[in-house]
Amino acid sequence: MRCWRRAALEFPDGLAVLIGPNGAGKTSVLEAITLACVGVSPRTASGGDLVRAGAEALWVGLDIGYGGQLERREIGYAPGRPRRLRRAGQTVRSLGEWRLPGALLVFLPDELRSVKGPPAARRRSLDRLLEAAEDGYAAALGGYQEALAQRNALLRRVRAGETASTGLAPWEARLSELGARVAASRRRATALLSPIFARRLDELGGGEGAAVAVEASIPEFATVADDRLESTLARALHARRERDIAAAQTTVGPHRDDLWVGRGQRDLRRLGSQGEQRLAALALLLAGRDMLSTTAPAPVMLMDDVLSELDPPRRAALLRALATGGQALLTTADPLAAAEAEHCGATRIPVQAAA
Amino acid sequence: MLTPSIERLVTELARLPGIGPRSAQRLAFHLMRDAERAPALAAALAAVSERVSLCPECFAFAEDGRCPICSDPRRDATLLCAVEEPSAILPIEATNEFRGRYHVLGGALSPIDGIDPEDLRIAELLGRVEGDGVAELVIATNPTMSGEATALYLADLVRGRVRVTRLASGLPVGADVEHADELTLARALLGRREL
Ligand SMILES: [Zn+2]
Repeated sequence: MRCWRRAALEFPDGLAVLIGPNGAGKTSVLEAITLACVGVSPRTASGGDLVRAGAEALWVGLDIGYGGQLERREIGYAPGRPRRLRRAGQTVRSLGEWRLPGALLVFLPDELRSVKGPPAARRRSLDRLLEAAEDGYAAALGGYQEALAQRNALLRRVRAGETASTGLAPWEARLSELGARVAASRRRATALLSPIFARRLDELGGGEGAAVAVEASIPEFATVADDRLESTLARALHARRERDIAAAQTTVGPHRDDLWVGRGQRDLRRLGSQGEQRLAALALLLAGRDMLSTTAPAPVMLMDDVLSELDPPRRAALLRALATGGQALLTTADPLAAAEAEHCGATRIPVQAAA
Repeated sequence: MLTPSIERLVTELARLPGIGPRSAQRLAFHLMRDAERAPALAAALAAVSERVSLCPECFAFAEDGRCPICSDPRRDATLLCAVEEPSAILPIEATNEFRGRYHVLGGALSPIDGIDPEDLRIAELLGRVEGDGVAELVIATNPTMSGEATALYLADLVRGRVRVTRLASGLPVGADVEHADELTLARALLGRREL
């Protein structure tokens, strides 16, 4: 990894805290676990820049227990060569096969983007949760995105006069069918998530009355019944054709949805302070874990350097929340925060900079 | 050590799908081991490139004019099955469930790859549907995003003129007709639904 020549660690059930000075490689440990579970780093799309400066390659091995079995997973990167994935000694060819279902919720400092960032970041947080929570969601979303890319390509070609706009119809039919499934799932999930999020935010000291809701790019989507989503989307796509051709992109549909995150009337996305947004992002992750835990083993939570940003009462509230409900791994450089975590039952794992 | 001719053979073999440089070398040496292998293969390749052309009716592979299926009078001329590639015909034939004729589109719609309706043999398909006494068009494009969109496009074009059906789902999404097993494909044919 970026910081490690070689490291081997064992993590307990429940809460553990990685304590060590800045630059010791705590974040690299979280990235390594993410790589071994999902195959991509939470920070960088390609593995190349994860490799420690001066090293030729990166290798991560992780034994994961789930479904009553222990599984050995290995991932290797070398700059300019394809990624290598091995599970129980067998080569795995696609990331889709590699990904552990619903196993991981990661909070790196930029996870704040799930509240404060652009709509795409919030959509991605919601989609990641749904991919873990619902069979078939990832396939529907992937299909939707594929159909979207095809329609956009066709819009460009129509604008350039290379082909007729009559070819748009089949892509719009596919988009409507898959988009309606995506929209229905998102709506259902946020309805479940919203009260849990409110409770979690209140527990963290963020106050009462919080809510999340899908903010659809088609206003009718807020009220129309599930079985009317498809025809509504089809009509909207058809009505926008001229404008979409001029823009050479699809300007309406679930890929333009946003997630409203607020408390009472207050829009935390735009008006929340940094502190409020951080708490809301944490509450969203905890709510996501609660939601996933009802149908599957609790996901593992990886949280990089969240304690130092919280005041003592909120820190205590977060530690209490993490002390129960599954495996969680925190990093901190602050001995005081680590002590508090230990007080809440966390296992302490010291991390020292590589010699 | 490779001679220039063997080198050339290895290069050509390595262009084939699923064959890397190592397998290409292995195949080349295998061909060299038996004095009869290489001439037999060369003759087969020469025959294919000289004699095989596309059937002017259905655009499947044919020799000397129309393909065996199009020239077989026992085939049901009211049933027409549209496929993406000639390779999809063989597995459908293997099910023994389809007695009609075929039409090879030559691919599937994909704007990203610049494949528009004009690039497929859709005009030819329309001509056959209108002129040949066709009563039902069975669309057997692959259950991929492109294949489904192509099916919808074709259905829109011929709807109202003939019955349009699509292979029943049961083919796994993302799989293709060419690689489906016989039983699954037979079931998909029997359960074809109105489109
Ligand atoms: Zn023919």
